[in-house]
Amino acid sequence: MPTIVFYILTLATFAAIYGVLALGLNVQWGYAGILNFMYIAFVAVGGYVTSLLMLPPAQPALLGESYVLGLNWPFIPALIVGGLAAALLAFIVGLLSLKRLRSDYFAIVTVAVALVLWTIAGNDTALVNGWDGISAIPQPFFNALNLDYNSYGFFFLGLCIVILIIVYIFSERLYRSPFGRALRTVREDELVAQGLGKNVFSLRLKAFVIGAFIAGIGGALLVMSVGAFNPSAWTTGETFFIWAALLLGGSANNRGALLGALLVPVLFSEATRFLPSVSSSPQLIDALRYIAIGILIILTVAFRPQGLLAERRFKVRRSKLLAPELAAAGGGTGIHVEDEVIAAEHSNLVSPDSSAGEDREEEASDGR
Amino acid sequence: MAGETPIRATKLSAADQSAALRSGMDTLLEVRNLVRTFGALRAVDDCSFTVARGSITGLIGPNGAGKSTAANVITGFLETTTGQILFDGYNIANQAPHRIALRGLTRTFQITRELERMTVTENLLAAPHHQLGESFWLGLLPLPAVRRQEDENLQHALKLLRDFDLYALRDEYAGNLSGGQRRLLELARVVMTRPKLLLLDEPFAGINPVLATRLGDYIEALCREQGITFLIIEHNLALVERHCQAVIVMALGKTIAEGTMSELRENPAVVDAYLGEG
Repeated sequence: MPTIVFYILTLATFAAIYGVLALGLNVQWGYAGILNFMYIAFVAVGGYVTSLLMLPPAQPALLGESYVLGLNWPFIPALIVGGLAAALLAFIVGLLSLKRLRSDYFAIVTVAVALVLWTIAGNDTALVNGWDGISAIPQPFFNALNLDYNSYGFFFLGLCIVILIIVYIFSERLYRSPFGRALRTVREDELVAQGLGKNVFSLRLKAFVIGAFIAGIGGALLVMSVGAFNPSAWTTGETFFIWAALLLGGSANNRGALLGALLVPVLFSEATRFLPSVSSSPQLIDALRYIAIGILIILTVAFRPQGLLAERRFKVRRSKLLAPELAAAGGGTGIHVEDEVIAAEHSNLVSPDSSAGEDREEEASDGR
Repeated sequence: MAGETPIRATKLSAADQSAALRSGMDTLLEVRNLVRTFGALRAVDDCSFTVARGSITGLIGPNGAGKSTAANVITGFLETTTGQILFDGYNIANQAPHRIALRGLTRTFQITRELERMTVTENLLAAPHHQLGESFWLGLLPLPAVRRQEDENLQHALKLLRDFDLYALRDEYAGNLSGGQRRLLELARVVMTRPKLLLLDEPFAGINPVLATRLGDYIEALCREQGITFLIIEHNLALVERHCQAVIVMALGKTIAEGTMSELRENPAVVDAYLGEG
């Protein structure tokens, strides 16, 4: 296979996987406004659990590796359990901290939990083989398909895209459902949401768990795509790659999340892996990537906080509008107001067309 | 009923209460000996009052009298230190704010709070209680019952927007509205929840006289036509006198009097604590 094809295949696979990851973070941050700085830990839990379920039992004597599980599971059940494991972690963290803590304090808790998990994964060699990590992770359907290595790459890309599409459709339905609207109500103003009878804690916990499940699924794909996984792949800094993707692409907009996933981790970070390394300072490229990501987040938040694709605006469908005679009546069943008062106040109304320029107007469905 | 309500001392004894019931007053909200402290500060200090069903009741008092704190405690946004809050037959003291809201006691805020990055229509659609589609699973599935409820809520929302003169702004982001429009939207949003009692914290603050007149008319119409009871915290006494049949006066965390505005003007304690100031 020509190098360029392999290169594009690799990038496309990463784009699809980061797309899944950005969509999960979008449910947490874009929909519900939860500041989660341990996102990569959910990715890691999904990746580890799925891999450990698919791997054969560890053979410490023979291969010098040690890890738990090793059950030779097929891919699909392992993937689902991997997602559920990440969701379970989110449930525990959320149950303990989401109720009592304000969002910025919650963010600190997430950083701490991620570091604790990271340190345990690295130091407890019996769990996931410590800092060396796990390797030779079975590729999904590899044996069943009997493909050569190159063709399998295309199959794996297809698998990632199928899962990305499923997650995208799920996220879109979620966004447009009344449940998604309730999450956005919580995002906009917790007190108002409570005043409207919404159980804010329960809604935020659900968003946190759903986002973590998606992170776990994406994590499984990420690990499968490399075939190996160790703690250096999920440092706290990696969380901010996904944050940068979501913020640049546009939070609360799933297409924005996908665009960001295409631009940031792939072109920005993966592509730089192909730059020549400077032998005197081998960490230079990595460090530059982190610096660039940090600058990108700062610039996005400062100059285009809504991201490249802003949240779509809900517009009432024409077919759902009130009948003209009903719309004109000053309140058939409701409140009656004298006409001259309305006329006096109309001068203060903003025309509906003169809104702030940032909207991408689209014919959104009415809540469905 | 309004003219008959006698000015009462701070404490509402059981005898007073039964007397009120015998006289035919249907109490929707009763606050009994409510106390809320912040450290050594007793922001609400043995405060008791009642709000009759179907009334527009004013709550007045000098700055720092504890009116907003009382509102926060009644609606569950602050915990009750001691005391009872009886709403429609239930003691709601120390219940979570969303549970109190689901019982039909809803509030607006002193400074308007909008769901800014949601449209005017969405602000209303977010409001109704017990939406089927707000459950995760039911929201995901294309169920006819969910869709029907959404359509009903949308029609209700659009009619309310029309009545509140916000129909032309239905697709506008709430964050782009003017101050007066925000007041209207906030009121429309809580009306959308079909409440029994609306607690409005300074609804007339910072809006022009024309809009204030209109807002007052809206409130009276909602009370008359939809049977919503209002408890209104307000400093503009002319508006209180115009719209409120019963008025409660608080000072230093205590209720010092209840009655009509004209009765209160004759009350030396009220004049001393509040009216005499200005």
